Amino acid sequence: MKDKIKLALAQISSKRENKNENLQKIEKLTFKAKEQAADLVIFPELSLTGYVVRDQIYELAETIPGPTVEKVEALAKKTGMHIIFGMPELSEKTQATVFNAAVLVGPQGLIGKYRKMYPPTHSVFEEKRYFRLGYQPAAFQTDLGNIGLCICYDVFFPEVLRLTRLKGAQLIVCISASPAVRRSYFEILTAARALENTAFLAYVNLAGVEDGLQFWGGSRLVSPTGDVLAKAKYDEEDFITCEVDYSDLRAAETFIPTLRDLRPELFDKLKEYSESL
Amino acid sequence: MSQVKLTSSVLDLDFSETEKRICRFIKEYVENAQAKGVVLGLSGGIDSGTTAALSSLSVGGEHVLGLMLPEKETFNQKDIDDARVVAEKFKLETQICDMSAVLGCFYKAIPVFDPSDRLCKGNIKARTRMIYLYYYANKLNRIVCGSSDKSETMMGYFTKWGDAAADITPIMDLYKTQVRKLAIHLGIPQELALKPSTPALWPNQTAENELGIKYETLDLILYGLERFMTTEEIANHLSIQKSIVEKVKTRWLANEHKRRMPIAPKIGYRTVGNDFRLPRHTY
Repeated sequence: MKDKIKLALAQISSKRENKNENLQKIEKLTFKAKEQAADLVIFPELSLTGYVVRDQIYELAETIPGPTVEKVEALAKKTGMHIIFGMPELSEKTQATVFNAAVLVGPQGLIGKYRKMYPPTHSVFEEKRYFRLGYQPAAFQTDLGNIGLCICYDVFFPEVLRLTRLKGAQLIVCISASPAVRRSYFEILTAARALENTAFLAYVNLAGVEDGLQFWGGSRLVSPTGDVLAKAKYDEEDFITCEVDYSDLRAAETFIPTLRDLRPELFDKLKEYSESL
Repeated sequence: MSQVKLTSSVLDLDFSETEKRICRFIKEYVENAQAKGVVLGLSGGIDSGTTAALSSLSVGGEHVLGLMLPEKETFNQKDIDDARVVAEKFKLETQICDMSAVLGCFYKAIPVFDPSDRLCKGNIKARTRMIYLYYYANKLNRIVCGSSDKSETMMGYFTKWGDAAADITPIMDLYKTQVRKLAIHLGIPQELALKPSTPALWPNQTAENELGIKYETLDLILYGLERFMTTEEIANHLSIQKSIVEKVKTRWLANEHKRRMPIAPKIGYRTVGNDFRLPRHTY
């Protein structure tokens, strides 16, 4: 496993319902990431299809693995890159049960997937109308370290990222489709989640406008002590690279020993109280 | 958490950021629609002046056509002059179309036309303006840019399928008092930004007289309703009678029919305007 890895945060604007065009963009930027000596390139939530696709989600969703994942696997193999992107996942066991998924692919093929645990359904969001909830945190041991996955609104729930960290993730990747009015929340929460878990957190948001929703971009890499190490432009498409140095984890964990200080018995209380809210 | 106190400062916005956001919205929409620009009605009022300015800043004045659509009954040279001030400052194209003749034809051609019913008559004017705007948009391959603000829209203070008919409505999420401040931020003269609003459906009509409330108060009531505050809380914050707030709330709720697609009885599997939930594309 490498001590240091280079990330490319591909803050794109997706063409809604146009998987071919979005895949072309994913391909182009994966090559660009490769040229810039990145190990892992990350694309936003539902970057394969766009975020506001409403009832068309049923036509767009695919199984994982499936045709799109196979194409991304071929791209990862060809470039030697690791790739993370978002897509609507069709359950293999049903015809129209869909998850909001993050997919991690490496040069050897599909490494894993994560199904969003907290699809928001309030304000402009209507995800629960379309998506079944995920139940499992995701952390995968790879050549690039242990990489955890989560999606957008999950970041409001400390337990999701805590589980991801406890499962082993050293780098938590949060892909997102966050509209501009929520920018300040995400700027606070991404730093907080990294800090409280003493883990790297790479946040990659959509840019552009979909049906009046303006995604604010602002993708970033946050250090295990909550510092923003790199930040992409607000609102516009952008592509930045940044470095994760895993040796920073040891210093962070000794200085802020939140993992050492975890109190498992409190989680029973959390369960008890949240059930009776 | 302490609740927000309803004072004029709650309506403060970062106007540079607001300008940027609205301009991006207009530009992206026009580009995605592959339109050659926008057409908008330029009344000489602050909503259309601000919308014109934002359109011009987004896609360039040469791609913005401001139609001035006077008619003899409500003609006001000051409005024409004010419209020209905005047009010149933001370098947009303008055209004047006098609607008097076509309105006269309507009045004559409607068998039950009643000239004393000024609202029904006035609505013909608003809808005729819409016809002009869409004619130019069709002809020039442009989109119609509406100028409705949030205060009017929430109150239903507009003509159904008239002034609210548009492809995009860039300032519809801004209350009137916010539009005025944005206008000043954009460099529109203060005198124009603060001039009383009128839908110009009949002579000497002003919005505040008709609504029976000052925008400074109305906007705070609407802001409170937007934030799920109770009528009691709003009345207490503003030190006004609860009945005033209730009146605004009733009007806001009663006019939802003007803000939506027409309603259909649910018969099929998926229904237009109901559970046909499709992405809105601009191609």
